[in-house]
Amino acid sequence: MNEQIRSMQAAMERWGYVAEPEIATAVYLAREMRKPLLVEGEAGVGKTEIAKVLARMLSTELVRLQCYEGLDTNTALYEWNYQRQLLRLKIAERENSDPDKLEDLIFGREYLLERPLLRAITRREGPAVLLIDEIDRADEGFEAFLLELLSDFQITIPELGTIRAEHVPVVVLTSNRSREIGDALRRRCLYLYVEHPDFEKELRILRGKVPAVSEQLATAVTRFVQKLRGQQLRKLPGVAETLDWAQALVRLHRDALDAETARATLGCLLKDEQDIKATGEQKLAELLAYASSRD
Amino acid sequence: MSGAHGMVAQLARFAGALRACGFRVGLSEEIDAAAALALVDLLDRSEVHRTLRIALRLPRDAWETFDRLFEEYWDGRRAPHHPALDQAMKRDRGPAQWRWDGQRVRLEMPEERERPEGDTPGYSPEAALRRKPFEEFTEGDLAAMERLVAQLAQRLATRRSRRLVPTAARGIVDLRRSFRRALASDGDFLRLARRGRPLDVASLVILYDSSGSMDVYTRVLLAFAFALRRVVKRVEIFAFNTTLVRVTRMIAPGKVLRSLESLSAGVPDWSGGTRIGTCLAEFLASHKDVRVDRNTTVVCVSDGLDQGDTDLLERSMRELRSRAGKIIWLNPLLGDTRYRPECAGMRAALPYVDHFAPAHNLESLQGLLRLVG
Repeated sequence: MNEQIRSMQAAMERWGYVAEPEIATAVYLAREMRKPLLVEGEAGVGKTEIAKVLARMLSTELVRLQCYEGLDTNTALYEWNYQRQLLRLKIAERENSDPDKLEDLIFGREYLLERPLLRAITRREGPAVLLIDEIDRADEGFEAFLLELLSDFQITIPELGTIRAEHVPVVVLTSNRSREIGDALRRRCLYLYVEHPDFEKELRILRGKVPAVSEQLATAVTRFVQKLRGQQLRKLPGVAETLDWAQALVRLHRDALDAETARATLGCLLKDEQDIKATGEQKLAELLAYASSRD
Repeated sequence: MSGAHGMVAQLARFAGALRACGFRVGLSEEIDAAAALALVDLLDRSEVHRTLRIALRLPRDAWETFDRLFEEYWDGRRAPHHPALDQAMKRDRGPAQWRWDGQRVRLEMPEERERPEGDTPGYSPEAALRRKPFEEFTEGDLAAMERLVAQLAQRLATRRSRRLVPTAARGIVDLRRSFRRALASDGDFLRLARRGRPLDVASLVILYDSSGSMDVYTRVLLAFAFALRRVVKRVEIFAFNTTLVRVTRMIAPGKVLRSLESLSAGVPDWSGGTRIGTCLAEFLASHKDVRVDRNTTVVCVSDGLDQGDTDLLERSMRELRSRAGKIIWLNPLLGDTRYRPECAGMRAALPYVDHFAPAHNLESLQGLLRLVG
């Protein structure tokens, strides 16, 4: 394995992210090739966490843009500070100043409210990590808008002109695949698909994130969840759910899994009524038996 | 691998093979992959494997094919030979023949067959085409049909929602938001806020039976599905027989014939038997990213000749029913007036189906558009 990828993996692990070689390679390549990284995978597999860890690793700012339907440039890019502009105008009325100069003044950088995308490219201190979260939720029009930004790292504001990136940010895009990302955007990125972790990885994540959990309980919880993911469910529990559940069990001072506790806390894992119903007494007993067995 | 040049040539061949299997691997992917390979340890097999997967941007459903081709092309085994690739070469020489005659299960429709072409009631060649059974389609008919379908399907994409949402320029004036904005400019209405009805994007999931008994219809119905895809953004197409394969991304629009060939090379058991229940259950369980909600119409195209677990089929249909807005079952056999849906699979599915419709000619597909839109 390439030395630098290995050290990337080690660094991510130091900062609390258990990274498979696949993830470390993708992050390394994205950094070296200066390309955005598009991360896809089911909910709760740790897509967003990649960007967070990256920001901590590079000890830089994480600029996050949460996408939603109807996201527009006012919230994503920039907005003029109307109130301040207005206030300045009122003052200017008394001063009787030159209107042209005044216009230049109120359409200056001080009157501009930076939203995440603009913030990410104007950061002076060094490249920021720009996380564009759940891009699949934004409209397709917004995707097209992102294309310009992600290929040239510049933004055009009619009143100000074109603003170029001081430092090209490290860009991570995540998608839950509720809709397919357009080809044009996909083409500009490197692509990483994150799967649910296997037993060893999940156990390591659990022990790292919930130190209070006993070894026996951690093993049982992980085995339970791993087995549960093999069932026919509408929403499979992610790592986030595993951690929640372990936290809950620790709070309840449990050292081992029993049917009663598992039933009462099943809501930490399964977030769908039908899934909970489908996991009846018998199924739960099977899962628990598997969780506490040693093979 | 011998030097950088050898590697690039190898990469180009590999990308070509992926393309022949129906995955969209373009020049920009190849360039990225070459750049990425320069950064990693080329002696580490798994690292090269990972790097190619990342830089070629292969979606999850392409992994299986990727792994197979990777073994062929990069493991030093001198067998860079892929049937789909040969077919791709051949295709460029002339129009391919498409014949499904022979040992296949075929439906006899004497009433339709006996009538000479000129007698078909209608006012234009197009009208005649609409009633022509798919078994008799020629290359030219298919192209004409694709055009027709594209026109028809336009309707699907232009339905407006009842909801009012903020819009940029069009629509009625939104007083509340206009006043709110005016506050910022000292009571002057610099810009009026407006509201309008957004386009309600209907989504369509097509589950397609590619088993042997459906061969005759496969090509035309898939052409129809892909013509729909060109106008409706959210169309997902799955083929099933004994296993379920997501084919949406494996098919380049407008090249159905080519795509079908690469499909039969890439899909296990294409034209085999059918296990509808298993495939439906798999669809519900493992393709969570395909949105199935009340705006979704699920179209199931199958003759219902099931060789699997009927109980499972019923359970899956029930769940599908609870999630989808509408379920349409298209059965080409319904075109025959003597057909009764009596086989076990069809009987189990019918209670959950909103519309049970024939799909043996274009006219019947036109009926489908009315149901969807």
